[in-house]
Amino acid sequence: MINLDCDDLFDTWRQQARWLLSHEIDPSLVSWAAEGVGDLFASDHPVPEGQGPFQARIPRALLDTLENAARYRGDQRWSLLYEVLWRVSHGDRTAMMAGDKLGSELQRRIKQVSREAHHLHAFVRFIERPKALPGPQYVAWHEPAHDILHSASEHFIGRMGRHRWLIATPRDGVYYDGEQLIHERRCPPEWQQLAQNVDDPHGDLWLTYYSHIFNPARLNPKVMQGHLPVRFWKNLPEGELIPQLITQARMGKQQDGQASGISTRAGKRIALKGVERSG
Amino acid sequence: MQIIDKLSILADAAKYDASCASSGAPKRSSEGKSGLGSTDGMGICHSYTPDGRCVSLLKILLTNFCLYDCQYCVNRRSSDVPRARFTPEEVVTLTLDFYRRNCVSGLFLSSGIIRSADYTMEQLVRVAKLLRKEHEFRGYIHLKTIPDADPALIAEAGRYADRLSVNIELPTDASLQTLAPEKNIGSIKQAMQTIYTGEQTVLNEPRAPKFAPAGQSTQLIVGADDTDDSTILHGAQALYGNFRLRRVYYSAFSPIPDSPKSVPLAAPPLMREHRLYQADFLLRRYGYSADELLKGPGNLALDIDPKLAWALQNREVFPLDLNRAEASLIARIPGIGLRTTERLVELRRQRRIRYEDVARMRCVLAKAKPFIITSDYHPQQAEVTSHLLYQQLRDRPAPQQMGLWG
Ligand code: SF4
Repeated sequence: MINLDCDDLFDTWRQQARWLLSHEIDPSLVSWAAEGVGDLFASDHPVPEGQGPFQARIPRALLDTLENAARYRGDQRWSLLYEVLWRVSHGDRTAMMAGDKLGSELQRRIKQVSREAHHLHAFVRFIERPKALPGPQYVAWHEPAHDILHSASEHFIGRMGRHRWLIATPRDGVYYDGEQLIHERRCPPEWQQLAQNVDDPHGDLWLTYYSHIFNPARLNPKVMQGHLPVRFWKNLPEGELIPQLITQARMGKQQDGQASGISTRAGKRIALKGVERSG
Repeated sequence: MQIIDKLSILADAAKYDASCASSGAPKRSSEGKSGLGSTDGMGICHSYTPDGRCVSLLKILLTNFCLYDCQYCVNRRSSDVPRARFTPEEVVTLTLDFYRRNCVSGLFLSSGIIRSADYTMEQLVRVAKLLRKEHEFRGYIHLKTIPDADPALIAEAGRYADRLSVNIELPTDASLQTLAPEKNIGSIKQAMQTIYTGEQTVLNEPRAPKFAPAGQSTQLIVGADDTDDSTILHGAQALYGNFRLRRVYYSAFSPIPDSPKSVPLAAPPLMREHRLYQADFLLRRYGYSADELLKGPGNLALDIDPKLAWALQNREVFPLDLNRAEASLIARIPGIGLRTTERLVELRRQRRIRYEDVARMRCVLAKAKPFIITSDYHPQQAEVTSHLLYQQLRDRPAPQQMGLWG
């Protein structure tokens, strides 16, 4: 068995995989250590030196696919990719395709990764810091399940223009200083603090909107949870409203769609007299 | 009145509009520029409310004062609801605030009719113009179009907005006359025509200013009158054909407070709405025609989806050999979607498709099974009558309950 450690870096894995492939080392003989625990080359298999004779032609598209799938955090994170690489470079393209056992798992990972990138684009919540302060103007705390932060956060460069923003996570972090995106693999504790201890004096506007755009007559928590997994609730300002909105809707507010805050206010019918009408 | 009070009233008044999509806009970016916002064609759902609906845009009314008396609408003039009105600047402030927080991808602004159709439309356009010009906002804007407004105003709206919509609300002329007496189908279609013409004019002119690049949409209320699904679907098909509408939204009539006697008090027919969306998707993406889904008058089945219903009525087409059948036919197999169809075609270029390959794809195998053949599988159910298959495959429990509590 050959044990490798790529420190969860795709480029490192790629070098290792190329070398393994050049020696035609079968995937069943290789494993990658989970983060930080493997000791490099603690192998009971003679490890050849230098590049071997086998020259595999790897299409660019395959590398992109593998890089994408590599963002998935989970068991066999790297050895699965090597197995795909092995089979495709030996002429079996089905290894990349749904339907094939391995290909299905590869596609499932890619799907999870792209879903998680989408979750970042959707569920990050920026809070504005007081104007005079240096550093980021907007900060957010987010907990992605896969290693998508660096690649997926580029989306916010187009969105936020020249504003300076920071997204901190339990692992890595990104800061856009108005000109370039800086990625730290270990999120500096100062960043984490900035993102987690920030006041939001005007946060109630969004909460008001969220409660009022909800139609209690159409309550359907299951569909909601399918789209907005519970693990995100704790970092969303509206997260803590959800259980109470569901309860209120169940307590007999299904007859009509109006929020309770509205029905208790004085209403106003409109008389037509004296107003000019057209159409 | 404080802005937060207005927001609560005017969001509450806007919730009956089903659309909240932010898709279809061209690529725009603020990278290295002053201003704010981007679009890339894909919509983003920034949150979901407990009704399972996506929150993509700040969806509000400019005002819920209204001179009209549409019976299904909470804002009709005879309705005893609290009223409020935003200034255009307030809407701009809220949009930018929510946008910076990454709570929304833009604005969907609608309004009750105040003073006149033109005046109301002018106010809506003003908000969009402020956002685009003063604040260099490049996010998504969807404006509701007031049917009787001057075509010049609609044309101006199209220059700032990504999407325009004119709601038909009621599927037939007769219903419109009884339930929304101030509206008429003529001026609604006229407005759609104005938007369609605007889109066509810039179509082949790369340098012309953009016109509503995300197209137009409309909404139909389902269940406020007794129009059947067949009429609704044939109507939708005509709209897609005549005005190149991007989307028709179906909104199950939601009982309103202080409801007039002319509209039902019942809970919204959510499963019916769901089936209409499924059928609509078959029209838009799978190439079914309304006639194939519902030949005569009547409603879609509630307990089976429309694709399965079609397959059960057209058993002579099945079972289909996945190793041979045309892609467009594979997509008609119940439980197999467009993506799976693509994947099957990709895979069979490499080797023969086996049953377990299908099982590993993202499809509803229980539904697909009676209708497929693979290199190692032939369905026993191929001989079973459609009625028996229907018994096996229909949804349980009662669909009405699923809609509400599911
Ligand atoms: S015009 Fe009709 S549907 Fe629109 S707000 Fe007024 S009453 Fe409601």
